[in-house]
Amino acid sequence: MTDDADATERSEPIANPSYDDAFDAIVVGAGLAGSAAAVTMADEGLDVLLIERGRYPGAKNVFGGVLYTPTLRELVDVTSAPVERYVAEKRFSMLSDDDETAVSLRPGEWHDPPHNDSYTVLRGEFDRWFAEQAVEAGAVLLTETTVTGLVREDDGRIAGVETDRPDGTITADYVVLAEGGNSLVSEGADLKKPERAENIAVGVKEVLEFPERDGVIRDRFRLSNDAGVSYHYFGEGAVGDAVGGGFIYTNEDTVSVGLAYRLSDAAGSQPKPEQTLNAFKSHPAVAPLLRGARTVEYGAKTIPEGGSESVPELVHDGAVVVGDAAGLVLNNGVHLEGTNMAVESGHLAGEAVADAAERGRTDEAAFRSYPERLEESFVVQNLERYGWLMERVETDRDLIFEELPHALADAGAEYFRMDREPKEKHAEEARERLFETVGGLRGAAKLAYRYRGVLR
Amino acid sequence: MSATPNVPNVDAGAPSAENDTLEDRLYTVRYDDPGESHLDVKIPGICAEGCTTYDCIDVCPANVWREGDDGVPNIAYENCLECGSCRWACPKGNVEWTYPTRGAGVSYKKG
Repeated sequence: MTDDADATERSEPIANPSYDDAFDAIVVGAGLAGSAAAVTMADEGLDVLLIERGRYPGAKNVFGGVLYTPTLRELVDVTSAPVERYVAEKRFSMLSDDDETAVSLRPGEWHDPPHNDSYTVLRGEFDRWFAEQAVEAGAVLLTETTVTGLVREDDGRIAGVETDRPDGTITADYVVLAEGGNSLVSEGADLKKPERAENIAVGVKEVLEFPERDGVIRDRFRLSNDAGVSYHYFGEGAVGDAVGGGFIYTNEDTVSVGLAYRLSDAAGSQPKPEQTLNAFKSHPAVAPLLRGARTVEYGAKTIPEGGSESVPELVHDGAVVVGDAAGLVLNNGVHLEGTNMAVESGHLAGEAVADAAERGRTDEAAFRSYPERLEESFVVQNLERYGWLMERVETDRDLIFEELPHALADAGAEYFRMDREPKEKHAEEARERLFETVGGLRGAAKLAYRYRGVLR
Repeated sequence: MSATPNVPNVDAGAPSAENDTLEDRLYTVRYDDPGESHLDVKIPGICAEGCTTYDCIDVCPANVWREGDDGVPNIAYENCLECGSCRWACPKGNVEWTYPTRGAGVSYKKG
């Protein structure tokens, strides 16, 4: 710990400063989890070095598009945060090759602050702002610096990081690993095992703008002021034969369009991710929303979707693992969350480290409050609640992603068919079309029972 | 330009969605060349002799992994968006992946 004068001096970068042994804690990665940990520890009085391999925080970060803020706004003043739009509509859509069947929700209360804590953001802007909050809290941000490994004491304790800077090694009592899902440092140090391809999703995304006139987004998505939408798409029209889905999120002047599906489905007969994205954007229910749009940015990332069983050991002597690096992402088909879990884990880990520092301890047991509180929090509770889902979806994948989108669209077309037959006949045909796919009333009941946990 | 499926209910003549080529897409992100590849294969012989599926080529969103003249995947590392897909996709665990150093590699403005 240092006094304020030292801290101020340190935040003024000099030509080739030595950071070795100058900080209590090093955070690897200035994403959401890393900056949350840095803010928390700096607020608790620790000297924190926040290391980012990109040219600025966010330079290496891609996500779909919605930031969930319940923990974030407890940590920092979010009034000046660069958010794009609040989510005023959630829409879930099933796509066959040429049909769409959708459900849309626009609760009135989502228009009122804090807007259900759901905002579209662009990470290149947001992550930079969040890291600035950590700097304002007293942390030192070091960009363009790649952590290449961890420093270990003879007894195995982690005591700092190796970097690609000229004076490479930076020691500190505590290391917070917030390096994201492609966690080379944690894996290189045997803190976690490489994940199986079944548990990783590949995501591709474009940010699109509408150059020809203002107000296109507002008009096309039925929006007022800074309201926005979250559209999720399932079925073969979204991602072909893969298990996954597509999305459209509205930003202030752009839309984020993309999709994600399991890497194990990406190999073989599935078209390449970029071509799958082309097909999704060209679907008859999607293309009109994007007409006239121009690509501003193309990006790709991988998403850890192994659920609670894939969460590695979170605490080690001298180090803790947070965010995507710890596999803390929820995808149950209806909820796609990770940003809130990253901030929560970074915050809880930061508090555990500050508490250990207070007691002068660096052993793994001193950080136990982090995994314990995470277990009690929504983060692990939610992961465990839906742990059964992915396996079941795999068993039913043809039914859910291919047959059901067709059956729902056909049944809808039958039910509303306009001809000179009585409605009774149409209703009967619609029912038969659905039952043919799900296996009768009994099959429908079984299906609903199998997935009762999603809405329970 | 990759094939765009026929879209029935979009105005005739109007492009359904502006699907840029991958090359144009990659131009939308800044890239600083680190001077050497951050990607490699651990044991070169494995790709030629032990692999038939080349999942690395299938999964790569940026055409980094591409079939070379010898039929074996080549690495165009300067296309890389640093998603990491190849690392998990390789059935032989033969992808050597390191982070580009000193801020090099891809930089997203939007993300």
